[in-house]
Amino acid sequence: MADLLDKTTRALGATSNLRQTRHNVISSNIANAETPGYQAKKLDFENALGRALNIEDMAPAGNEPGHFMTGPGAISKVRADIYENPDVSVNNDGNTVDLEKEMSALAENSIMYKAAVQLINKKLAALRYAATDGGR
Amino acid sequence: MDILTGMRVSSSGMAAQRMRMNTISSNIANINTTRSPEGGPYRRKDVVLESMPEARSFGEILTSAPQKDVQRVQVTDVLVDRRAPLMKYEPDHVDADEKGYVAYPNINLMEEMAKMIQATRSYEANVAAMNATKDMAMTSLEIGR
Repeated sequence: MADLLDKTTRALGATSNLRQTRHNVISSNIANAETPGYQAKKLDFENALGRALNIEDMAPAGNEPGHFMTGPGAISKVRADIYENPDVSVNNDGNTVDLEKEMSALAENSIMYKAAVQLINKKLAALRYAATDGGR
Repeated sequence: MDILTGMRVSSSGMAAQRMRMNTISSNIANINTTRSPEGGPYRRKDVVLESMPEARSFGEILTSAPQKDVQRVQVTDVLVDRRAPLMKYEPDHVDADEKGYVAYPNINLMEEMAKMIQATRSYEANVAAMNATKDMAMTSLEIGR
């Protein structure tokens, strides 16, 4: 059997996974909004996922270390890039959390997560429709 | 499951803000207290917040790389304010010294109220984050419905 779940579904699965990680990072920033010296963290994965989507169709080039990962499985190997947010203003206690930004990032992230889950559901519904012979 | 990490982090934030709220309440309640178990007037208290990597158990630390990027918050210490007490001339007071001055706690009500509002808002932010986590967990249960 070829892939039951197509590239889109796998990408959506990877997205929802990474969004959960981002959610944890944002929660951590909010919890530490008043911890002296705490550095706000940021998580990026959109670019890495976009690249993985582009290279997934390429033939695998072997497992040489240092080579780009191509071929099926590139999507599931996308890792989030977590770093200290440089785009901040430092408080006088050394804390760099901007609560308003974190709250809006939190809302955006959970909306996008829900959107990804809804799209997975649509994909699965289409599969179910086919598997039940057009809903009969 | 990884979503529970977010809930634990948010709840640590709520616990820390609640603890902070308790010290603020204590400061406001004791704004005129001239006697304390340590002797002398009541002294203003303040919490020390510290971030630390979120890890549940030894087993979890052993099996997975510690997540340094997800940090919970904890009240590690309660500081006693070093400001000198306010001296008020009240010769009839039982706690007055030989010159007739009574030492009162150096607590500024406006400052405490501002900190109280700050703690409330932080607590609410953590509640919002917790609800968002719960929402996401519930949404993920809908996959394949």
